[in-house]
Amino acid sequence: MPLPVLRIEKLCKSFGNTAVITDVSFDVIPSEVIVVIGSSGTGKSTMLQCINLLLRPTSGRIFLEEKEITAPGVNQDNVRRQMGMVFQEFNLFNHLTVLGNVTIGMVKVSGIPAKQAKEKALQELERVGMAEHCEKYPAQLSGGQKQRVGIARALGMDPKVMLFDEPTSALDPELTGEVLAVMQKLAAEGMTMIIVSHEMGFAREVADRVIFMENGTIEEQGIPDQIFSTPRSERTRKFLSVIRPGKSV
Amino acid sequence: MQAFYTMLQFLLPGLGVTISVTAIALCMGCCIGALMAVMRVYGGLVAKAIAVCYSMVVRAVPVVVLIFILFFVISEFVDLSPFMSGAIALGFASGAYQTEIFRGALLSIPQGQMVAARGIGMSRAKAIRCIILPQAFRVAIPSLINEVSLVLKDSSLVFVIGVPELMRRAQYASASTMEPLLAFGTAAFFYIMMTLFVSKLLEAVEKRFAISF
Repeated sequence: MPLPVLRIEKLCKSFGNTAVITDVSFDVIPSEVIVVIGSSGTGKSTMLQCINLLLRPTSGRIFLEEKEITAPGVNQDNVRRQMGMVFQEFNLFNHLTVLGNVTIGMVKVSGIPAKQAKEKALQELERVGMAEHCEKYPAQLSGGQKQRVGIARALGMDPKVMLFDEPTSALDPELTGEVLAVMQKLAAEGMTMIIVSHEMGFAREVADRVIFMENGTIEEQGIPDQIFSTPRSERTRKFLSVIRPGKSV
Repeated sequence: MQAFYTMLQFLLPGLGVTISVTAIALCMGCCIGALMAVMRVYGGLVAKAIAVCYSMVVRAVPVVVLIFILFFVISEFVDLSPFMSGAIALGFASGAYQTEIFRGALLSIPQGQMVAARGIGMSRAKAIRCIILPQAFRVAIPSLINEVSLVLKDSSLVFVIGVPELMRRAQYASASTMEPLLAFGTAAFFYIMMTLFVSKLLEAVEKRFAISF
């Protein structure tokens, strides 16, 4: 068993008196693709945001390559730089071109010279099939294209793990395919990924492990075949039957 | 027509002074405004309080009063020419209005921009500088055009401390030629021309930097 890239230990997060996540623990090994499923409001997105410290966990510990990132005194900006985050609403920088979106982090955060950053950015854009649109502004792109740029922006920082927060939920159905294809390609290239998604077909095909979350905690986890074909938990079965009506579970 | 032409020539040197006073005031106001707005929107309790007080107090005091305070009180301690104290007073006043302009612009930037900037490892300060402010400036341009024309006109107030700008020279001409309509009419003509020119210029800037969401 290789050393985990990411180890989450007894993660809890509450807002005021409302506990959103309770006692979530799991390891992520290199090149592993984890898809997190579950109904809305079960803390999946909150969990992702806790993992890269966009939200401060209430308790619990998170380790990135054996180093505890939740320890006091850790440079949080540096931690976030090492994890790529892709957002449901894309959140591209509206005043920058596609190329600018990908280079700004490399130049302003990693301190890479502008020329080198541009070359690297073009490579990353090539990876997501957006290199030919590099001079356009976000407003000129379709949703699927925006999300692919969002992925390239995260890739540009050479992340150790990529976090996807419902990357296709804001897209028209006919545009989800191009984004999922890019993610599938990244998975094949060995990128470590945690994906919160409602795309069950994608989960089944690409995930190494599926985590089903319910009420802020992990209800069940396992390889996709097991989760989708023979779920152990009654709740998992119920969830899957609701989102895939007609399919036998 | 000949009289108008002579008047134009007489007022012309004042035009330069008016433009310089306005330019200094606007630049100063822009720096103060951007800083105060960031303090107000992103700052801690103390920073917020400072920004709120500044904007409230300065907007409540007539610009002429500010000009007199700076000229008669502050220049007791610091060596300030009437020109500089006038320009600084105007800048100080404009800063308060620009604070409000920039505050509105900052608040209009979607939350996700900050989250995404933090997500690629930017510190809060860097995210504000590289991501939020550049967008806020663009959003603010239409309101800034308005502010430019207001400051341009307010610059006539510095005539009270003897700065030889457009208004001062017009007043002088009016007194010496006994033709107030010609003198002030010509001054008005200059103000209209400048306002038109600046608005057109900034509208071009607005178009050039427009971002769609």
